[in-house]
Amino acid sequence: MNAPDRFDTFLLGDGEKKVTEVADTRIPSASTFTFNKEDHTLGNLLRSQLLKSPHVKYSGYRIPHPLVSSFELRIQTDSTLTPRAALQQACRELVSDLSTLSREFTKEWELRKMVGDGAKGDDKDGKGKVPGR
Amino acid sequence: MDYGAMDIDQVGPRVIIRESFPNRADFVLEHVDLAFANSLRRTMLAEVPTMAIDLVEVDENTSVLADEFIAHRLGLIPLNSKQIEDVLYTRDCDCDQYCENCSITLTMHAKCTGDEIMKVYARDLVVAEPRPNEWVGNPVITDEAGLGPVICKLRKGQAVRMKCIAKKGIAKEHAKWAPTSAIGFEYDPNNKLRHLDYWYEVDPIKEWPVDDRNASWESEGGPQQDDETFDYNAVPSRFFFDLESIGNLEPDAVVQQGIKVMQQKLAAVLQELAGDENRNGNAGGDGFGVQEPDGMQGGDYGVDQGYTTPYVNPGATSQWGGGATPYGATPYGQSGWNQ
Repeated sequence: MNAPDRFDTFLLGDGEKKVTEVADTRIPSASTFTFNKEDHTLGNLLRSQLLKSPHVKYSGYRIPHPLVSSFELRIQTDSTLTPRAALQQACRELVSDLSTLSREFTKEWELRKMVGDGAKGDDKDGKGKVPGR
Repeated sequence: MDYGAMDIDQVGPRVIIRESFPNRADFVLEHVDLAFANSLRRTMLAEVPTMAIDLVEVDENTSVLADEFIAHRLGLIPLNSKQIEDVLYTRDCDCDQYCENCSITLTMHAKCTGDEIMKVYARDLVVAEPRPNEWVGNPVITDEAGLGPVICKLRKGQAVRMKCIAKKGIAKEHAKWAPTSAIGFEYDPNNKLRHLDYWYEVDPIKEWPVDDRNASWESEGGPQQDDETFDYNAVPSRFFFDLESIGNLEPDAVVQQGIKVMQQKLAAVLQELAGDENRNGNAGGDGFGVQEPDGMQGGDYGVDQGYTTPYVNPGATSQWGGGATPYGATPYGQSGWNQ
């Protein structure tokens, strides 16, 4: 009845921004980024990627309300780069990792297709178990 | 954090495909962290776009099933979604309601004239041309008889005549757009990281059998030894995926599309962050091919509510004569729906 529309979980509203930054007033080099229409998929991914950077002192995310599709990502850095720069760097690293993964997967899949073409003829439903390795 | 050890031979994710079938892929993902693997899993489950029937115009329904019941069944029929990039989201399209760039029309027209109960199958859906590409919108039919799923059953004299509009969407909005029926996901089958604390009656090892195939894949091998010290710094880095496709996309396409969707999400964030710096809000066309839904909101969605509008459309002369259905040459003749 008063449930939010399903598309509200992934479509930005009018004038709504994907990301907004609010700098922390008490701690230097700390910011809270609010991501709209995103969830754990992106939140946890960025959180863990940020933690890999030696310049990031703190990174954590939370979803303030389960019915509101947004999350807050808090980042504190050692002032060699701003939280925003750290976030941008994390995003770029992830995009490049995903490209590597895509390439690797294509390569392996083609390889598998060449090797497996002869053997998999009878097992159309794919339920058969072939021992691994 | 100590990532030195794993960077020796290779940087970046690694994939080993253990099994591949027309509708299933079993692979191991290595050299990534748990968050990355889980994000990929979540994206493939819920955010890979596919086609599904979203609007049904009922012209005639004298079957025993209610209009909305059949409309729901129609929505759940998997439709081929190969190269779905060719199809626009209806909300991003310039058209008023829907058009051939953002939708595919399928018509179902069946009447039972014999004494036997007649079944209407997915193969009886006739796809209208033109459409964005040659595959998209075809009902997925994998059974040997080439029938596809049953939509409804008709008795003598009963008929259904419906126009179905298939649209592009993602499973986050409705599960009918899901590309996978399930994705198996496991890491650390021997529970060496102790992320699990098993409940047991007598013996946890007997009561919680491990997946032998995954367990033997781990190079460390074997169950936890009593004298082994617990490495509390260890993190999982090997993930076992078992992806089962519904048939609208090949399993490898599901993975590739999932990767793409994740990249688009990240690109949208980068674009926003870069745009802010220029102080002009929307920097627009910088490098990233962001396919994010633009400002379009609301409007079009109101239309979606009309699942069962009994809306007769005399103008629609679908190619009904095309003998794709066994019922094509029956009482309704060749010339569109008898008006």
